[in-house]
Amino acid sequence: MPWRCHDPGCEKGQEKREKDLLTTSSVPGARFVDPVVLSRIGNLELVARHVVDGFINGMHRSPYFGASVDFAEHRGYVAGDDIRRVDWRLYARTDRFYIKEYEADTNANFSVLLDVSKSMGFGSRGLSKLEYAKMLAGCLTYLVHKQRDRVGLIAFDSDIVAHVPPSAKHMDVVLHTLDRLAPSGPGSLRAPLHKMAEHFGRRGLLVLVSDLYEEPDAVLEAIGPLRFRGNDLIVFHLLDQAELDFTFDTPAAFEDLESGVQIPVVPDKLAEQYRSLVRAHIDGLQERFSANRIDYSVVNTSSPLDHALFSYLTTRERLTRVR
Amino acid sequence: MSFLTPLFLVALAGLAVPVIIHLIQRERKNVVQFPSLMFLQRIPYQSVQRRRIRNWPLLLLRLAALALIVAAFARPFFRRQALAAAGSGGAREVVILIDNSYSMAYGDRWSRATQEARTAIGQIGPSDRASIVFFSSAAEVALKSTPDRSRLTAAVGTGKPGAGATRYGPALKLAGSMASESTLPRREVIMISDFQRTGWQGAEGVRLPDGVTLRPRPISDSNISNLSITPVSLQRSTFSEQDRVTVTGGVTNHSSSPASNVEVSLEIDGRAVQTERVSVEPNSSASVTFAPFTPAKTNTRGTVRIATDKLPLDNSFNFVVSPKEPVRIIIAERPGALRDTSLYLSRALALGEAPPFDITTRSVDSLSTEDLQRASVVILNDAPVAQLTAERLGAFVARGGGLLVAMGSRATWPSGAGSTDILGATLGQPIDRSTGQAARLGALEYGDPIFEAFRAPRSGDFSGARFYSYRSVQPVKDGQVLARFDDGAPALVARRVGNGRVLLWTSSLDLQGNDLPLKAVFLPFVHRMVTTLASYTERPSWLKVGDVLEAGRAAPVPGASRQVQPRVVLTPSGERVTLDGEGPDVLELTEQGFYEVRAQGRDAAPPMTVASNVDLSESDLTPMDPQEVVAGVLGRAGGAVPAGTNVSTTDQEQEKNQRVWWYLLFVGIVILGLETLVGNRISRSGPVQV
Repeated sequence: MPWRCHDPGCEKGQEKREKDLLTTSSVPGARFVDPVVLSRIGNLELVARHVVDGFINGMHRSPYFGASVDFAEHRGYVAGDDIRRVDWRLYARTDRFYIKEYEADTNANFSVLLDVSKSMGFGSRGLSKLEYAKMLAGCLTYLVHKQRDRVGLIAFDSDIVAHVPPSAKHMDVVLHTLDRLAPSGPGSLRAPLHKMAEHFGRRGLLVLVSDLYEEPDAVLEAIGPLRFRGNDLIVFHLLDQAELDFTFDTPAAFEDLESGVQIPVVPDKLAEQYRSLVRAHIDGLQERFSANRIDYSVVNTSSPLDHALFSYLTTRERLTRVR
Repeated sequence: MSFLTPLFLVALAGLAVPVIIHLIQRERKNVVQFPSLMFLQRIPYQSVQRRRIRNWPLLLLRLAALALIVAAFARPFFRRQALAAAGSGGAREVVILIDNSYSMAYGDRWSRATQEARTAIGQIGPSDRASIVFFSSAAEVALKSTPDRSRLTAAVGTGKPGAGATRYGPALKLAGSMASESTLPRREVIMISDFQRTGWQGAEGVRLPDGVTLRPRPISDSNISNLSITPVSLQRSTFSEQDRVTVTGGVTNHSSSPASNVEVSLEIDGRAVQTERVSVEPNSSASVTFAPFTPAKTNTRGTVRIATDKLPLDNSFNFVVSPKEPVRIIIAERPGALRDTSLYLSRALALGEAPPFDITTRSVDSLSTEDLQRASVVILNDAPVAQLTAERLGAFVARGGGLLVAMGSRATWPSGAGSTDILGATLGQPIDRSTGQAARLGALEYGDPIFEAFRAPRSGDFSGARFYSYRSVQPVKDGQVLARFDDGAPALVARRVGNGRVLLWTSSLDLQGNDLPLKAVFLPFVHRMVTTLASYTERPSWLKVGDVLEAGRAAPVPGASRQVQPRVVLTPSGERVTLDGEGPDVLELTEQGFYEVRAQGRDAAPPMTVASNVDLSESDLTPMDPQEVVAGVLGRAGGAVPAGTNVSTTDQEQEKNQRVWWYLLFVGIVILGLETLVGNRISRSGPVQV
């Protein structure tokens, strides 16, 4: 397996593990599937909230009645139904046409929508948000792949940069693609997300990883088409510690990574207002995502990756049980 | 505190530079890349004035260094003394120059000058100091820098007009040096003089120091009339074998009105021998020629005198004449020589008039001691010299006599040491150049008095003379070769023996060995040799006041001992000055009249009289504008310095003395170095602000 732990001492401590996260293996993409991370989340099952249709039997319940072995119900024939699915035995007994439906386990489409705009290249402590997002995407992809779901990847900034269609055989491709990604140009959500929504013919599980530097309403409007297709959407909002706390203390010219615009900033005077604006932004997103039943999680890139995954998956499982 | 160049303080605006660097430049250098300015742009912009200065010590160091350097360029100084001086008038250093040249004796000029000096002394305050300087051709400090007015007044009273001429330069130089030595804030030079134009030949390189003021106090007369005598001319002639002197004197009328019937008289040894009357037009001269007289004795005193007027010192002119004293020469020939052996030599010497030569021809064997005592110079013309004669000649030379030895083919000199070893070279074999090319004189020592007269071009050509035979000689240690032949052999060798001198001419003084007697240079050459051997110097008939009397060389006496003897100089005023040889053997003439120099001792020479006259250019009493002198020595017009100018020059001197700028600059540079250290340390150890 290309993502196995290559360092025998990787289990000895948290710092050692974090260091190993950044260690590049000879196998491309292997660093994104850190066993330490997976040991925390391996006993959890990533269960899709909704049953998606598929071709192979799996652990997901299909939302459709299909060619499964488990009978579900009969329903009356309506014009247009495939006559091969008519229960002829029942017709013999009742002289009515009934269609026999089955519950079928399917495999799901899992795609990571990764924002690779320049703002994702920011990192105040050595690890940029993009690198963190790559590891996060790698871990999720691997976990999903173990469940025999199809995995894919779409990277975008203001347009689609890389696209790996969901497939059960695309695990390596996804990891390779992840490894090559770098911060590119200015980013936006609306255009690329609308564009990619047209390509999702099947419902599936979409994970959006971005720093979401747009207004909450604009974000919601951008991901609307994805939701309309019935996709299950999970949003990871990646933010650096400096973006959250604004810990600068030296007056300086602040340059926008994407537009290059500079403005003089005196952090002492701005910090409090900045933090309140960020909090309002996060709250706005939280409110809107909750209203639209979209899973939303703010990830601080200074926190360990496994912590973020663990807390999210725990939440995810709890929500599934509740449902 | 004041500043000499306050405009430099404008540069203090540069203090804003470090502040701007601290507030703005630092932020411009630090650019923080941030993911998005979406939130920051919603916050109102904070102006730079509210930015925080974090490195106060660094900023203060930079500001202090800049301020100190700017202040150094502004040349600060403390004006405590100047302020005090400006408030009270200031302590003064006053140098009072009083002209005591003989023109100040005109009328009542001297009394007015002393009164002017007393007035100036009366204006001296208790904190002031003053000096009294009398000047004519030289300056003399009578009293130096004292606040005691009574002593100053007494010092003025000791002065009187002298016999010197007016020269402003030395007095102003002395006053400038005295003023520059003073530490008082105000320095003045007061010059009391008649400001004769003849005493001022331009600035003469005199420049008073900055801050010194020159206040002229002219002593002038409205209607000046003065008659003065002019320097006499003495015309010598010989009449009936007697030396006669014709005196011509002149009278100059320095006034705008004619002078008629001016009596001009000639006095010989204090007795008027002739009086003439002459009329002189305004600002012109007339001359009188007196009948010739015969000076009866040595040092005959003569005076040409006119009637006394307001300025008596320029009304007489003194001179001293003496009968011509011939240089006694003995030409010693070989026994049995032909009559015309010394023909060329004796003819050449017979032509001498200044001085005349008294020639006696002797056989070398018959030279007696008496002959040698009377003679000044002995010429051995191709004569063999016996041992006894050589010894006599040695003694003669040692006493101061001169000996010229012409080495013809027959001449000999006894060899051996002792009193006969007086020649400048040892004799060798005769050299015959009669065949082939004759020898010529090559190198001449033009620095020697004998050949000095021939130094100039076309003043005597020795190269035309041909020499057919001469004696090879080897110069002794102290023998000086004055002339050489073209082959390098010595032609004329000199040697000083005792008080006398010996010349060795290695050829003959007739046509036997050369043709020099036929050349034009022969006569002056022989005259120069003889006068040099006789130490003859022509004495001037008079000297001027201010000249130096060299009493030791005043009276060369033939054959007399020339050892330094105590001499007594009797001045015209009757004062006796002893020159004993320990101090300077000279005396500066300060009076008009006759100085008499007497030697003391058994072998004393006869007394010598020197006539002293005043500088007659002083008799021209035409005044000049005193401001011309002021402008010349101060570099600006006006004696009284404007108040502002005075303060400014004082400021410059105070600033120069205090040199505060140097300390400020030094401290500023030290602080800059400290700032560099602090800055480096902060940049190294400071946290990286991202």
